[in-house]
Amino acid sequence: MHKIQFDSIEPGYQLPSFTRSVSQEVFWKYAVASFDYNPVHCDPDWVRTAQPFGIPQTVAHGMMTMSFMMSVVTNWAYPAMLKITKTESKFVKPVLPGWTITCKGVVSEKHVICPGKNYVVIDVRAENQDGELVGLSRTEVQFPD
Amino acid sequence: MDRLNLEKYFETEKQRQFGTDFFQDAEHYEVWDEIDFSNLEEVDGENTFEIKAEDMIYYARGCLDDNPLMVDEEYAKNSPYGELLPHPLFVTQIIFWCVGVRGRGNWIRTPGARNPGQYMEYYEPFRVGEVIHLKLRPYDRFVKRGKYYLQYKIDAYNQDNVKKCTCISTLILPRTREDIRKFLRGQRGLAD
Repeated sequence: MHKIQFDSIEPGYQLPSFTRSVSQEVFWKYAVASFDYNPVHCDPDWVRTAQPFGIPQTVAHGMMTMSFMMSVVTNWAYPAMLKITKTESKFVKPVLPGWTITCKGVVSEKHVICPGKNYVVIDVRAENQDGELVGLSRTEVQFPD
Repeated sequence: MDRLNLEKYFETEKQRQFGTDFFQDAEHYEVWDEIDFSNLEEVDGENTFEIKAEDMIYYARGCLDDNPLMVDEEYAKNSPYGELLPHPLFVTQIIFWCVGVRGRGNWIRTPGARNPGQYMEYYEPFRVGEVIHLKLRPYDRFVKRGKYYLQYKIDAYNQDNVKKCTCISTLILPRTREDIRKFLRGQRGLAD
């Protein structure tokens, strides 16, 4: 646990990155964790012909990619007792088994309101092992008094 | 999908109870072009969700997060928080559980659906011991670049009716029931 002072954070501040490799087994475990058993994530046989993404492969749950992006924020904010108040994400490219996803976060905005309501916006980019963008998120993190 | 034997990954009571077959009852899933947007009344989710520590822990583990505040109950209890913290997307598990198979909003289970992105607001963290229920209502339906988007607003409340979280849940869906049937047959039911 550590304290982060609002005054010490400026736009451009970079958070530690979060990297995870994914596989079909990871997709299955995330399905069990989230209760999202959609066959586009879980059933390699079905997706070979159904191809919702136009490819004959399963793809990662968007919510798992979003979870990775959120972990960049929680690993920084939770030990400092900062509060996540809002988040939104956009999925740019489906994530395939065998890929390694790296999420990088940067403070993009600093909102100086008043003690207890000050907050920063953290933009996170998720990229695959080739540097291709797969997801984006924008998360607001509020500072305590 | 039961043939995939996902049971070997089950760790919690709810995981053992929840059905893994998203084709089951798919004929009853709400469909993009059939949802009544003239009636925006809120409805209750089909089920309630009593939060246990194992639910939070295995969500975080499922998304490969090892932050001890989310996966180590003893560590979290001895932290300044004094309790486990939920991963911010733990609400995903709650929504799938509460919507259920026959409830309103069951289109989130549609085989072939695509997730373009999500929006969430948090008011209070979910806590172990709370019993969560959902209120859902149609929010928007639109066509963009040939794709059919559906949005519901989903509010999560605890047993004291304290609002915990709001989600605008969005998916790109097959447009018609026949398109869903194509996916059920293993054929493509979405435009490119």
